[in-house]
Amino acid sequence: MSREGAVVFVVDDDFSVRESIEDLLRSVGHDVRSYDSVAAFLEDRRVDHPACLVLDVRLPDTSGLEFQQLLLTQGMNLPIVFITGHGDIPMSVAAMKAGAIEFLTKPFRDQDLLDAVHAGIALDRRRRADEETLASLKERHASLTPREQETMALVVNGLMNKQIAAALGLSEMTVKVHRAHVMRKMNAASLPELVRIADSLAGMTTRA
Amino acid sequence: MAGWRCFQNSAKPFIRLRRPITDRREEEPDAPMTDATGRHPFLLTTAAPNRRQRRLAWGILAALACALLVAAPFARLILPGTEIVIPAYAAAAFLVEILTSALLFALFSVDRSRSVLLLATGYLLSGLLVLPWALTFPGVFTPLGLDPDIQVTPLIAAVRRLGFAGIILAYALAKKGRPGDRIRGPVGRVIAGRVALVLAGAAGIVLLAVLGAGRLPAFMQDARNVTPLWSVVPAASVALYSAGLAALWTRSRSTLDLWLMVVLGTLLIEILLISYLGGATRLSVGWWAGRFFGLASASVVLLVLLSETTTLLARLARSVRSERLARESRLTAMEALSASIAHEINQPLASMVTSASAGLRWLDKDVPRVGEARSALERVVRDGHRARDTVDGIRNLFRTDTRERVPVDLNRLIEGIVRRSEEETRLGQVSIETRLQQSPLPVTANPLQMEQVVSNLVANAVDALSTVTDRPRIVRVTTRSQGGSALVTVEDTGPGIAADIRDRIFDPFFSTKPEGMGMGLMFSRSIVEDHGGRLWASDNRPSGAVFHFTLPSGPASGAEAGR
Repeated sequence: MSREGAVVFVVDDDFSVRESIEDLLRSVGHDVRSYDSVAAFLEDRRVDHPACLVLDVRLPDTSGLEFQQLLLTQGMNLPIVFITGHGDIPMSVAAMKAGAIEFLTKPFRDQDLLDAVHAGIALDRRRRADEETLASLKERHASLTPREQETMALVVNGLMNKQIAAALGLSEMTVKVHRAHVMRKMNAASLPELVRIADSLAGMTTRA
Repeated sequence: MAGWRCFQNSAKPFIRLRRPITDRREEEPDAPMTDATGRHPFLLTTAAPNRRQRRLAWGILAALACALLVAAPFARLILPGTEIVIPAYAAAAFLVEILTSALLFALFSVDRSRSVLLLATGYLLSGLLVLPWALTFPGVFTPLGLDPDIQVTPLIAAVRRLGFAGIILAYALAKKGRPGDRIRGPVGRVIAGRVALVLAGAAGIVLLAVLGAGRLPAFMQDARNVTPLWSVVPAASVALYSAGLAALWTRSRSTLDLWLMVVLGTLLIEILLISYLGGATRLSVGWWAGRFFGLASASVVLLVLLSETTTLLARLARSVRSERLARESRLTAMEALSASIAHEINQPLASMVTSASAGLRWLDKDVPRVGEARSALERVVRDGHRARDTVDGIRNLFRTDTRERVPVDLNRLIEGIVRRSEEETRLGQVSIETRLQQSPLPVTANPLQMEQVVSNLVANAVDALSTVTDRPRIVRVTTRSQGGSALVTVEDTGPGIAADIRDRIFDPFFSTKPEGMGMGLMFSRSIVEDHGGRLWASDNRPSGAVFHFTLPSGPASGAEAGR
């Protein structure tokens, strides 16, 4: 079992519960850090690893559900597994709608918690990989000259070299040269791949 | 089930608490408690008049007496040609009396007393007879071709006047407050039957008078003047009115009685003006004055009755609303409480389960990690003890006072609860009866818990009747001594308990009501058993359910219990 680099955060105000969950997760090889409140969790040093948060709903200062909303508004994509001593349906619906991985009522089956945590870590790992890819694409796009960026925008919109040349006031030959640079610098083997890269970049910028 | 044991002696917060009746009583200090027969305290028939109402009643009578004195000198003056006013007068009198009758029938539908029904009938008869009286009045409807025997009108007038006076006297005499003075059965049918009877009676009288023309007693010499025979009618009326006044004065003092006394006083003044001061001559000043004073005072009485009814309804609506709010807040409090208890218990349970799972996983490894497994098991033991402490804490929280047992008279306790259920039973059109053992029924018990048991059973019975439409909705509470125990039964005429749920009605969280918590019967049973008694259910004949419970009979000195 490989738990390389992943961290599970546990936030529960009950010492016994916290301790037992921590032990359970450690028994299957997870790296666990536990906190008795949201504030303690926020104060701790951030780690740059795939992670998952096991969060109690009823907490002394900020409730688990409130904290979920707070993370959402700050754009922090930390997968959350909720645990609660008295879950009701509206509460679980709200949590799941806001993107929680799972909503478990205490006492829960150990396998349910472990499955949820694994799913959360996998999701976070995928998200981090996507973000890394996007970052490198953005870097490469930034390395294009302004003319090359203009050319790329028109190419991915489906314009032919002749049309691009007319639009930019260049010779068709020059456009061909720019286009070859674009393909090489963006590391695209074909036109469809370039289009996909452009879509990823557009998706990222609109999300930001 | 372990979670439930802790509540067995501690039902207090979960069962219907005492009704918040006190606020309403404070609001209306004049309102009496229900009388010995357990009648509604806020109806015209039972509420005692307050000082303002008495003053208004005396004011009306005094004003009429003054009017009598003013009109007296001109009483014998004839006003010819005033026949045309008779239809207007008759229409007004008809409306006032029919409306009063409708109001009284409505009162009967809640109160169900025979005397109110009688009174409503009297008003209806009197109102209906105004029409033929005016139609047969000589010279009024002659253009329409109506010109009956001149003896028809006085005959109708005599029947109307004497009949009404007789009915009010009968009402006053019947109003002795016997407990059995209630009419059972569907209200709508009773009222419809009564109205049909009165209609038939009135039509019969008119028909007889018209057909028997020529053989009728000669009350009139001509269209204006009466014969000496007529003098019997006013004399008899005066006698009946006086007797009615005397009966009302001595027997009862409800708001309705007060206004009936005003009505009788008015009628007395009216007949004095018409028949004695006015010389019984039609269309004389005395004759007209009597009628208009009578009509004016009848209208005032009607308005007063209407406004009293509206006030009572408003008060009822207010108290129902506050009751509902109180119940909702009780439910919310219960939900919050049960959620927090669930949380307290689930917390150690969760850590025990999780620790045990972790321990198993440490042992399941290729090289079992005994040290880790051991510390996991130690946590299981620690959390088990912690769970027990939590449970003990909750028990102690609710244990307060429930161990306190004092001598209680069950009869008195039940009477109090029945009285407080009046609002709810009246709204559900349920009659609640008590058949309590004559002598006190002493037991040693916690009065608050016993109240919860009884009011819970009564409330269940009332709720069970909500779907019943084809038979009387009755809840009957009975008590008696049986061997060394006190036996209490609560019966209803509802649909009864279906066979397939009979075994589950005492289970926690089992309820047939959509908003029910399913705890009432379970707690009632555990309270009764905690007191050394038994609680069980059986069928009622022909339909419905009976809940019985026994308690060991208490000290012989139970007479001063229940305080």
